[in-house]
Amino acid sequence: MLLEVKELDAGYGYLQILRKVCLTIDKGEYVCIVGPNGAGKSTTMKAISGLIKPMGGKIIFNGEDITGLPAYEITQKGIAFVSEEMNLFVNMTVQENLLMGAYIIRDKKIQRDRLDFIFDLFPRLAERKKQLAGTMSGGERKMLAIGRGMMSNPTLMLVDEPSFGLAPQLTENVFQSLDVLAKSGVTIMLVEQNVTKTLSVTNRGYVLENGKIGLAGKSSDLANDGYVRKVFLGV
Amino acid sequence: MMAMSEKFSLEFNLKAGENNFMSKNNKAFVGWIKSAPGITISGSIILAVFATIYSGPYILVNVIITGGMLALVATGLTLILGVLNIAMFAHGEYFMIGSLTAYYVFTPISNYVNENPDSILAITGPLIAIALSMISGAIAGVISEKIVFGPLRRRSTDNWVMNSFLLTVGLSVLLINLHQLIFGADFKGIVRYWGGMPTEIAGVFISRDRIMAFIISAFIVLVFWLFMTYTRTGRAIRAVSQDVTGAQIVGINIENIVLLTIALSCALSGVAGGSLLFMYPSYPTMGLEPLYMAWFVVILSGLGNILGAVVGAFMVALLKVMTVEYVGAGWDFVVPSILIMMVLIFKPSGIFGSEVRGVLDK
Repeated sequence: MLLEVKELDAGYGYLQILRKVCLTIDKGEYVCIVGPNGAGKSTTMKAISGLIKPMGGKIIFNGEDITGLPAYEITQKGIAFVSEEMNLFVNMTVQENLLMGAYIIRDKKIQRDRLDFIFDLFPRLAERKKQLAGTMSGGERKMLAIGRGMMSNPTLMLVDEPSFGLAPQLTENVFQSLDVLAKSGVTIMLVEQNVTKTLSVTNRGYVLENGKIGLAGKSSDLANDGYVRKVFLGV
Repeated sequence: MMAMSEKFSLEFNLKAGENNFMSKNNKAFVGWIKSAPGITISGSIILAVFATIYSGPYILVNVIITGGMLALVATGLTLILGVLNIAMFAHGEYFMIGSLTAYYVFTPISNYVNENPDSILAITGPLIAIALSMISGAIAGVISEKIVFGPLRRRSTDNWVMNSFLLTVGLSVLLINLHQLIFGADFKGIVRYWGGMPTEIAGVFISRDRIMAFIISAFIVLVFWLFMTYTRTGRAIRAVSQDVTGAQIVGINIENIVLLTIALSCALSGVAGGSLLFMYPSYPTMGLEPLYMAWFVVILSGLGNILGAVVGAFMVALLKVMTVEYVGAGWDFVVPSILIMMVLIFKPSGIFGSEVRGVLDK
């Protein structure tokens, strides 16, 4: 088991959002968390990546307890987080952004290899490597954010709302690139609001409601589940 | 100064990726000339040339010395603003600490050199004093981070901009009065660092100390710029200033970067104070003038923009020297203040405002 979240409680300040969330991810899986707005999907991601401190529970990664570690140490352990807001360095070029993604890798040669790998994966980024990140379009920025997350050669990638604020065509592009990553053997945990699409591409899913895991199972089963269809798909 | 500001503006533009100066593309050049940085930089160069022809090259010398010093203080200020999001109003006090250190280190050296004129210390002594002023600035910065800003950040970041600003004002008052209490309120100055006959450059006599002061500040600003642009740590500092969450995600230890940033910026301010001790003797409130001037630079060039701060420093220096020359010595704060008001009204993000977000946006 790659990641195991046990009875996680988390929130902001005095506001508790997650209540006893449990989930597991095996190596090589493509798992999604779906759920309505405010259910705590992003909070789960932030708690795992160390951006917020959990109030209770345990997060175990690769057999190691990483609960409450600062974000930079969690990144060093091999978890990359692609946040909803992307958090790009807008006044750095695309290439500089990608190199920052490899900040924890000190070896220049490995950095180059990773850079070439990302440029192969996203030729669009290679074309624009000298452009400032802040001047790129929404879809390109998402690609850059995912590329930057990939630069550190993570074992597990947490991707938060990759389709947020994107035109349908671009959403398709982003999903395709995630697909490529998943097929290349990266473990991905995806949070999405686009439930139909997400359940059609992932292996397994969790349904998060009001800070609790409501349902869990194979994505195809979830997509056909009466409750999920009624609540999220409106059919 | 002209060559320098042009070079920096050039690199600045390359960096901003807007109009590529080097491409020899006429259109791009015209576009750059019409942009806000273009107008102000070419305007300043024309002004400087005009003043040099009209009143003599000593104006240029003054601009270069003042600008070099301002660049040191202002880059530190802009760095703290960008990385720690602190509107620093105690930065002049690190300048004061630097000059105080240089005074107490250099006075015994100077006495020794007077007795043994052939000693190697005649050349290296001032450098030792200046280097120690830099180190003392850095140490003072680290101490203030450890006992003032760090605890506040850990306790609460609500209303951070206002609270940290008030803390810096308090720190400034505290340091000024500590100086007065411990070292007294008199002027603690030296006659000269290196002394000797002034060097003649293009018909102007410039004292060796002034040349050295400029070389030191130019060297430090250059090294600093290279550090920020090409090293891993420099990139990390810029990353933190652009997006703290992003920096955490890629694995940067924010606490370390914050400590390094404050040490670096205070060291820059300290070395400015140390290297200019021969011009400005150390006294409790000596830091206020460079502080205000550095704030003019930061507002003019845009918050958190390092290269812009260097160019802006020479512009403000030019403005100050020109005001003293043509309007009157008492007006050197008035004219820049008017300019700052105009900038805030018409171009609140500053002239080179590309690398900028308002402090409150963060």
